[in-house]
Amino acid sequence: MSMNDTALAEKASETIAGFTEEAFSALTQPGNPLLRGKREEAFAEYLRLPAPHAFDEEWRKTDPALFRFDTWSALPSAAAGSVQPTDWDSAFDVVVQVDGASVSIEDRTGILSAGRAYVASLFDAAEEHPDWVQQYLQGAALPASTDKFTALNGAFWNVGIFIHIPEGTKLEKGIFLRYRQRETGAVLIPRLVIVAESGSEATVVEHLESDDEVSMGVVSARELYVDQAARLKFLTLQEWGRGTYQIGNDMAVVQRDAQVDWITLNLGSQISKLKFGSDVAGPGSSAELDGIFCTDTDQHIDQTTLQIHSAPHTYSRLLYKGAVMDQGHSVYRGIIQAKPGAIKVDAYQTNNNLVLSNGAIADTIPGLLIDADDLKCSHGATIGNLDENQVFYLRARGIPEHEARKLLILGFYDEILDRIPYASIRDRVHELLVEKLDRVL
Amino acid sequence: MSSYFEINELKAEIEGKPILNGLSLTVAKGETHALMGPNGSGKSTLANVIMGHPAYEVTGGEILFEGENILELDPEERARKGLFLAFQYPVAVPGVTVASFLKHAHDAVYGEKKLKAAEFLKQLRADMDFVGVDQTFLNRYLNDGFSGGEKKRMEILQMLTLRPRMAVMDETDSGLDIDALKVVSMGVNKLVGAEFGLLVITHYERILRYIHPDHLHVLIDGKVAFSGGPELVKRLEEEGYDWVRNEFGKEALMA
Repeated sequence: MSMNDTALAEKASETIAGFTEEAFSALTQPGNPLLRGKREEAFAEYLRLPAPHAFDEEWRKTDPALFRFDTWSALPSAAAGSVQPTDWDSAFDVVVQVDGASVSIEDRTGILSAGRAYVASLFDAAEEHPDWVQQYLQGAALPASTDKFTALNGAFWNVGIFIHIPEGTKLEKGIFLRYRQRETGAVLIPRLVIVAESGSEATVVEHLESDDEVSMGVVSARELYVDQAARLKFLTLQEWGRGTYQIGNDMAVVQRDAQVDWITLNLGSQISKLKFGSDVAGPGSSAELDGIFCTDTDQHIDQTTLQIHSAPHTYSRLLYKGAVMDQGHSVYRGIIQAKPGAIKVDAYQTNNNLVLSNGAIADTIPGLLIDADDLKCSHGATIGNLDENQVFYLRARGIPEHEARKLLILGFYDEILDRIPYASIRDRVHELLVEKLDRVL
Repeated sequence: MSSYFEINELKAEIEGKPILNGLSLTVAKGETHALMGPNGSGKSTLANVIMGHPAYEVTGGEILFEGENILELDPEERARKGLFLAFQYPVAVPGVTVASFLKHAHDAVYGEKKLKAAEFLKQLRADMDFVGVDQTFLNRYLNDGFSGGEKKRMEILQMLTLRPRMAVMDETDSGLDIDALKVVSMGVNKLVGAEFGLLVITHYERILRYIHPDHLHVLIDGKVAFSGGPELVKRLEEEGYDWVRNEFGKEALMA
């Protein structure tokens, strides 16, 4: 054993507090054999993989020790109460409510009973469609070997949701996943698998909420499979409370002529460490990735995006816009990867940051990994404050200074807000941004 | 007659460099004044100082609007008092649509007296027709990708929307073709009247064929070097700007 191997073996022996051999045994007995097999596979990887450390490049800006797993007692219980419906629900075909570890599904327009979509907990899916679960859970998008926290999610997930859109089906309204977490001291470990079969079209929206007083951890993983000529729109509005600490890893695999439109709206949580992206894996496939983020007080949002091109004639475009205020800190890492043979690729990445307070920090770190030639690839990043000439222009028209700044910051986000496909969500994001800005400006 | 808009011994600098060196002029209610001068004489500095651009530091003098020294007011307070500046180089504001911007500006300036949204939009559409701005511009981002002429029309549209009582036009005519110039002038002339004061800052006499000043001032080295009434304007119209150049020397009026 070399020095490195020894060091690696020592690191690998570390488990995350609470996620031990004993906890795992208790979780998997007896359980569905298919799911148990998947969990065991993931658990083996979880034990094998090194725990992240602040000296790892990927964790350099977000010390993993900030995630106090020792203060959270492993798993949330099934909730006592039920989540109240909201006026957003009518915009969707199916509403899935996740309260604690309990999942309830409302088939509002009858698409589930008509077989036009399948939405179920992973437990039910493993019984009803074991072949799908076998193929897609811990599949090509996020194999168990991805990293320690992804493997942890694979071994210990406590909320599992499986969505399947059959071939050629077009959902008019979409599927809404609403997470309300009210239990302090728990770790929520959601696993989401979405499969859009060939030629299907669907929109899936997630809304993540917890109260500020709720101290909790989240270790999430999402796998999106977009089959030939399918189109999946996926949107996450993250407004976790300030007691929530999240680590996430999500990936979409997009096949021939298919498209994923993915919008992430990261406004909440105390600390988020998120990695997500797309692999345009079939010729003619494309990915449109848009995101906004905004940190205030001492929030910390660290995001890594991946634009992987593993097939020729593929397209990806990414626009991430963020503002940092107070003592807030944002980290953005954008990786574009063209694999060997991925010729005729167009990949665009833009990250714009507004630094609105003296104590706030925005880091932007681009990365290109290109193993192919004959491709168009561009990335650009900006970090700056508002343009004072714009502020003056608005003030010269009678608009008070704080209002002018607010308008300009909302304007900075506008092209992304404009792409949100539901007015209710657009309004909510607008409201959340205004709340933050009114407090700071 | 009590003064309407009065600049007294105004001194201002930018980044420690003095630009205005004791400038004085007075615009009475109902009057249109033209201010001409070579590049670097302080024309745009004056416009920015009148509106309160924070990059300029006023080191002396006062600007009275209806008896109040507006130098003590924020730019937005000046606008709400009825002061307007048509910018020489209007900035693009991506993300803020023309409609949203104008509504915010109208609401801010008119406060309690603001129009209801539908009424406002009706008036706005009429004003857009008047200055030849297509209705599709309502949903475009302000000045973003606009041509020079479109930006200037947008300035006049803003002026019509806000209906100021005292306006300063900073080289609004620069870069306009004759048709655009006519439209812009028509828009301005709609406001000219007994309750309106206008200061037209320009480099060329051309615009003065369409907006007729009662008084003319020539600015050199940050001071009004020469002022006159209708007879001076008439002479300028007849003899052109060359006459001013001959009077004050080529060096001072280098363009």
